[in-house]
Amino acid sequence: MSNSAQDWINQWQALAQRYWDGWKTQGVMPPAGFGKLDANAPWQAGLDQWAQLFGQGNPQSDLVDRVTANAKSYVALMQSMLNTSVGQEGGGSAAAWTEAVRNGFNIPGMDASLWNNPLGTNFRDMAGQGAKGFEQMMAEFGRGAGPLKQEMLAGLGMPAFGLAREHQERWQQLGSAMVEYQEQTNRYNTLILKSSQQGFERFQSKLAEREEPGRQLDSVRAVYDLWIDAAEESYAEIALSDEFRKVYGAMVNAQMRVRSLMQTEVEQQTRQLGMPTRTELKGVEKSVQELRRHLKASREASAADIAGEIAALRAEVDALKQQVAQSRPAAVPKPAAADVNPPEAAKPAAAAKKTKR
Amino acid sequence: MGPIRIEPQKALDEALKLQQKLSAGAQTLRSLDPVTFGVTPKEAVYKDDKVTLYRFKGERPPTTTTPLLICYALVNTPYMVDLQDDRSMVRNLLALGQDVYLIDWGYPDGSDKYLSLDDYINGYLRRCVDFLRKSHGVDAINLLGICQGGAFSLCFSAIYPEKIKNLVTMVTPVDFHTPDNMLSHWVRELDVDLFVDTLGNIPADLMNYCYLTLKPMRLNQQKYIGLVDILDNKTELENFLRMEKWIFDSPDQAGEAFRQFIKDFYQGNKLLKGGLQIGDKSVDLKNVRAPVLNIFAEQDHLVPPSASRALKDVVGSSDYSQIAFKGGHIGIYVSSRAQREVPPAIHDWLAKRA
Repeated sequence: MSNSAQDWINQWQALAQRYWDGWKTQGVMPPAGFGKLDANAPWQAGLDQWAQLFGQGNPQSDLVDRVTANAKSYVALMQSMLNTSVGQEGGGSAAAWTEAVRNGFNIPGMDASLWNNPLGTNFRDMAGQGAKGFEQMMAEFGRGAGPLKQEMLAGLGMPAFGLAREHQERWQQLGSAMVEYQEQTNRYNTLILKSSQQGFERFQSKLAEREEPGRQLDSVRAVYDLWIDAAEESYAEIALSDEFRKVYGAMVNAQMRVRSLMQTEVEQQTRQLGMPTRTELKGVEKSVQELRRHLKASREASAADIAGEIAALRAEVDALKQQVAQSRPAAVPKPAAADVNPPEAAKPAAAAKKTKR
Repeated sequence: MGPIRIEPQKALDEALKLQQKLSAGAQTLRSLDPVTFGVTPKEAVYKDDKVTLYRFKGERPPTTTTPLLICYALVNTPYMVDLQDDRSMVRNLLALGQDVYLIDWGYPDGSDKYLSLDDYINGYLRRCVDFLRKSHGVDAINLLGICQGGAFSLCFSAIYPEKIKNLVTMVTPVDFHTPDNMLSHWVRELDVDLFVDTLGNIPADLMNYCYLTLKPMRLNQQKYIGLVDILDNKTELENFLRMEKWIFDSPDQAGEAFRQFIKDFYQGNKLLKGGLQIGDKSVDLKNVRAPVLNIFAEQDHLVPPSASRALKDVVGSSDYSQIAFKGGHIGIYVSSRAQREVPPAIHDWLAKRA
């Protein structure tokens, strides 16, 4: 081992020690075995303990979950890259670094089906944080409808006849729809995995561009940001393809068919229990909306009628006033001597009041 | 020479900085108060079912005589335009003398499942506009439509041209079939009837999930890594959380309105191509005769600029202007550049057409 490689390892172990020392001041303890200055101790373990500092039910706990989930990926990436750096002195190839990044996303303990598939992991994380995508909605719905599924699968291969034939046909439709949905989901997941793979390829070619002197990346964050650019570009390319459009539409449509048929089954059960069904409620809601529209239209029409009527009456009154004014004989001025009522003239305010009325 | 050269000391600094930020965050996150948005004082002046028309109150009375009505989208709440003191398009417009009103569509529930675009445009929006025309004693008002609300405003201006004095559209899709429109691309194969018949109202969570999957790594991962950088800054963290609350505090979508919007706008592209019917009224953008100011964002991933630019060639108005803003779909309201540039641009344009 060269001296520089040994120096790196020494520095790396010192770094790891300081990293965990920093955590200890926050009450976060390093994982077992770290006392041997094991540079490979999983750094993201500290984040789990950090998240536990907040406890459950904290108003910010959702935010903490999100930070933790993403910081874990980032820290794992950091650790993987630093391990790869040992002894390379900036000489590693784009392929070797890409491999380091790929390994960085494969966090120990994660679902093996998402290995080398950071985009798939990302989608899974989103669901873990409470967002509900199509798959999660289906999973939740499926849990509630589990007993129905068993009933349906049991009857799937049997011919339909007799008193229960209508029921059996419905179950068979539901079974076919579920199989179809599973197939479409698999097609969708294949494209997501493809996007992840192409993301790594794109990342490698972006890294190769950085081999020129002066363009090298000198921080983990810069590497991470470049990886994000590559992953998003690859995803956008696939997401805007005709194939994705068809697969995405087919997956969503297939899920809606399953949900719709399950709703029918739930209605069958609730009807037997004398409970109001979704279809009945929808009928009522539709009627309410129609009544609401009708009421608003009537009110507006009636307001318009009244306004029209008032305008017509006002016009009529004006016309009558004009007629009266025209038919009244011209006033004859009284002689000054005849003015024997000086107190009236002395009360202009009272006169004005009368006029106002 | 390899593409990456990370010096041990720099790596150490980076790792320790991350850890320090997280440690500081443990304190900062505990000290935060619940965040709110919608900061400018306002008064509810008209109510219609769950819809509320608000009038904003500025620090001084408006100097304009024509009211300006903001018509926001049905997705998300309209308070993006009044997020916080130093990020408020409303506040800036009031300071310039505009008399600003805003329609809050409310949160539809199951009983609103059958609200259609006819109810929204020929019903709620028309009644709000009529209320303002009557209360201000004017024949026509200024209308500012945002995103889907911009599409609604275009429809309204085409159906009732006599009621609109000036029209401002912001990040408004007109051509829904441009090749860079990912949302439109995804819904093209959707069986919308099956979708709405099955789900009823469209859950806000599902809508938000779809938006996140437009840029999944950036919006669901990189954003939260970036958050670590501000974990020790209470103000920045509150700003972040306020935006986060706005993004995810969204109304469900009334099923029937959603059905028609996807079918006619996203799939049929009828706003551009023609043949659009809202209730018993035909929409032809050639009937939009009021002056039009079209503002779009150059880095908009939800409504690509190409989708907005298309308005120029189809609108009937002989007085058309457009502004390309350097920013994204949200940045056009909340960035500091937006505060400086957008409200004055709208105010000046309106002032010349008062």
